[in-house]
Amino acid sequence: MDAEILALLRRTVVTVVPEIDATEVVPDARLADLGCNSIDRADIVTLVMEELGVQIPVGEFGGDHDVRSLVGLFGAYA
Amino acid sequence: MIRVAVGIEAIGVYAGRASVGVREIFDRRSLDPSRFDNLMMERKSVGLPCEDAVTNAVNAAKPLVDALTEAERGAVEAVIVGTESGLDFGKPISTYVQEYLGLPRTCRSFEVKHACYGGTAALQTAVALIAATPVDGVKALVIAADAASATDRDSYWEPSQGAGAVAMLVGKDPHILELDPGASGLYSHEVMDTLRPRADLEAGDSDLSLLSYLHCLEQAYRMYERRVDGCDLRSTFAHLVFHTPFAGMVKGAHRTLMRKVTGASPADIEADFTHRLAPSLRYGRQVGNVYSASLYLALCSLIDNGALAPPQRAGLFSYGSGCASEFFSGVLPPGARARLAAQRLPEAIAARHSLDWDDYEQVSDLAVHRMAGVRDHVFDPEPYDALYRKCLDGRGLLVLDRIKDFHRAYRWS
Repeated sequence: MDAEILALLRRTVVTVVPEIDATEVVPDARLADLGCNSIDRADIVTLVMEELGVQIPVGEFGGDHDVRSLVGLFGAYA
Repeated sequence: MIRVAVGIEAIGVYAGRASVGVREIFDRRSLDPSRFDNLMMERKSVGLPCEDAVTNAVNAAKPLVDALTEAERGAVEAVIVGTESGLDFGKPISTYVQEYLGLPRTCRSFEVKHACYGGTAALQTAVALIAATPVDGVKALVIAADAASATDRDSYWEPSQGAGAVAMLVGKDPHILELDPGASGLYSHEVMDTLRPRADLEAGDSDLSLLSYLHCLEQAYRMYERRVDGCDLRSTFAHLVFHTPFAGMVKGAHRTLMRKVTGASPADIEADFTHRLAPSLRYGRQVGNVYSASLYLALCSLIDNGALAPPQRAGLFSYGSGCASEFFSGVLPPGARARLAAQRLPEAIAARHSLDWDDYEQVSDLAVHRMAGVRDHVFDPEPYDALYRKCLDGRGLLVLDRIKDFHRAYRWS
């Protein structure tokens, strides 16, 4: 499941910010470090939730997330 | 029940007397330049050390109050300040505002707080008071007024911390905006996204705040759509006006809402943004985030800069961290632009003094003396005398004179 969510997150990152190489979206990466600004990051999270058909309480996104923790968070609700 | 039009009769803005370029803040603080475009901001207003939420409120409202006849002034039965920059846990800043504006004592006076939603909370409270009274001619003065706490140096909050206030006279002759009665979509819940836990600290989680804003916008709009028969996001509102922490955020929020609700293509959404939303962002791009007043500065920007062919309906979205939100609407009557034009807002914004960097740093340091909790201080402009003379001296604006045992005394510049 996590592999599928990671793949979905990669596709979404590239959709929102086409300049990013999907292979850079690895578990230890942070979206900001890859070049996603705050609005890009909000778009990415929103699109992944839509694709998964889940609504995660926004409070869960507080703090500093890397790709691994985002995938874990999506997985917990998917 | 007879429906009576209630709304904003007159609106006034104080956008500060000094400003600094956002590009310069990025350069001086070595902020990531790739994030500059994302903000869509050019300048921000900066309060001088002798300006606080009270002076901003009074300086926004004074032209409105001065324009009233004696009888009209006597009919102001409420002064309500929406602010997240309160100066005391008990005593509201509306008390100082009432005093320095010379409003009658036969008046309700209170302050409301809900972060940047406070201005809307105050407005809706005033509208309800006016709608409920059978007494002719009664008015309420609503002021959304804030002052930034300590400059949040070296952070991405700093470029957007603006200064200013918007005052609105509420009554049954709504020449500026007639609110649609009952047409509100609401969405509020507990979240810790941005906060002011101490007088000298603004903090928060920007990603969380942005997500919360987006979620609230969609949910509040969905409730509005359920409540108002025949509502359609694309055709019901000739204009959209959103709370504007920074213009880039509003653009992103509009894109997300349009995609989710209408499924429009990116090109259609971009064109819609340019047509319906961009005119409301012009002043915010120059003034910065004025907290509870930000939505109402955007409303002024729309009225001055939008392609108005009134009467037209505007959809407004108010958001306050913590959080509370409301999507509501109103009609811009014919004549709204002509009435606002008398305020000459573009000239006032352009006339702000452009601070050089050392002056900006100095006034940021001295701001600590005007914060809540200060017991005693005399506001001598001597350390920034040249700035004081350029920006305030002789202009008849309210400034802080002294604080003695927590009691603030003000004077006219």
